[in-house]
Amino acid sequence: MADYAHPEVLVSTQWVADRLDDTGTLRIVESNEDLLLYSTGHLPNAVQIDWVNELQDELVRDFIGQEHFATLCEQKGISNDTTVVFYGDKHNWWACYAFWVFKLYGHQKCLVMNGGRKKWIEEGRPLTTEVPAFPEASYTARPQNRSIRAFRDEVLAHMKAAGPLVDVRSPAEYRGELTHMPDYPQEGALRGGHIPGARNIPWSRAAHDDGTFKRRDELETLYLDEQHLDPDAETVAYCRIGERSSHTWFVLTYLLGFRHVRNYDGSWTEWGNLVSVPIERGAGT
Amino acid sequence: MTTLDAIAEDFQMVDDETRLELLLDYARQLPPLPEVYHPLRDRGLYMVHECQSPVFLMIEVKEGAVRLHADVPEEAPTARSFTAILVKAFDGAAPQAVLDAPADILYRLGLTRLLGMQRTRGLSAIYQRIKNEVARQMEAA
Repeated sequence: MADYAHPEVLVSTQWVADRLDDTGTLRIVESNEDLLLYSTGHLPNAVQIDWVNELQDELVRDFIGQEHFATLCEQKGISNDTTVVFYGDKHNWWACYAFWVFKLYGHQKCLVMNGGRKKWIEEGRPLTTEVPAFPEASYTARPQNRSIRAFRDEVLAHMKAAGPLVDVRSPAEYRGELTHMPDYPQEGALRGGHIPGARNIPWSRAAHDDGTFKRRDELETLYLDEQHLDPDAETVAYCRIGERSSHTWFVLTYLLGFRHVRNYDGSWTEWGNLVSVPIERGAGT
Repeated sequence: MTTLDAIAEDFQMVDDETRLELLLDYARQLPPLPEVYHPLRDRGLYMVHECQSPVFLMIEVKEGAVRLHADVPEEAPTARSFTAILVKAFDGAAPQAVLDAPADILYRLGLTRLLGMQRTRGLSAIYQRIKNEVARQMEAA
């Protein structure tokens, strides 16, 4: 992993296995798409953070606020100088999402376990259903670091300025081929398509089948040589609800060293419903 | 009272923590997929594509009864438990009972609030697939 721009944020399953008992300075956090998965077995001494019930505000369509975030950390036994290692299901989508939210509130020491839950299990490493309890910590949250988060008006301005936009959804979602089967739940957006000018680079192209990230040279071939993204340009990534684009945000920022990547967490669920903003359909750029 | 109503009542009486326990119990109870269906599953047929995990659903109406066989990976315990609930409620039931089952079942089970709207889409698709398929086979018969 030494080749990455910021190799220190990505750790191996072995690295975590060697530190399962370092609970005084290190907290392992499992974040999954599936709410029940943690309860079926998780890494020893890992706590769960659920993206819906714990990271989202119930009343405002937004993440939990600064104070609420501090309380969440305190309850999980995380203080400002705790090293937090994130891992989860689905190629670490939600692990990257939780990592991104922690960075949004300025948490310093955040790590991702390469390969996530899947790799840990495939390697036959131990799981437990025992939920650990840690002493409540003390946490002071910082205001949101907006430089890694894009809001719709900013995305609109970015689009008009022809700034680089990365749509990390599947090609069918990008082209706007929504399934319109009767009585089936829809994608949550009234229109199918993508933000005008966005490139389609599915998140999965940055990952191996075992859930680990591709090597730096492979990532450079994809994002720099093939897609012509510029590590110095302000770049916005989005998907449907912001989880897959957290994965790409992580890749661009930490593995390739892009300086100004923002995750548009409103993503297609917001853009596809906005009044008076344009969309594009078809194979696109 | 139908089996599904009885299950929904169990879910309504408990708090969120117990509701999670109930779901985990159901996830463990999903009957294994009979081997005769393995080739279809392995070829990627009869999948519910709205689900993020590979959910296999074989829905048949035979001799006046609904037969439901499913396979859901253990890494998707929520989809697995909801499917197990539907297998318990619908396998062997009269087709009309499936057609009459309430549209708001996720709400009745308390799952809409517990899981959040963004996470119930795949589950709605599983439910709707069963109802649509039973309706289709009844019309064709």
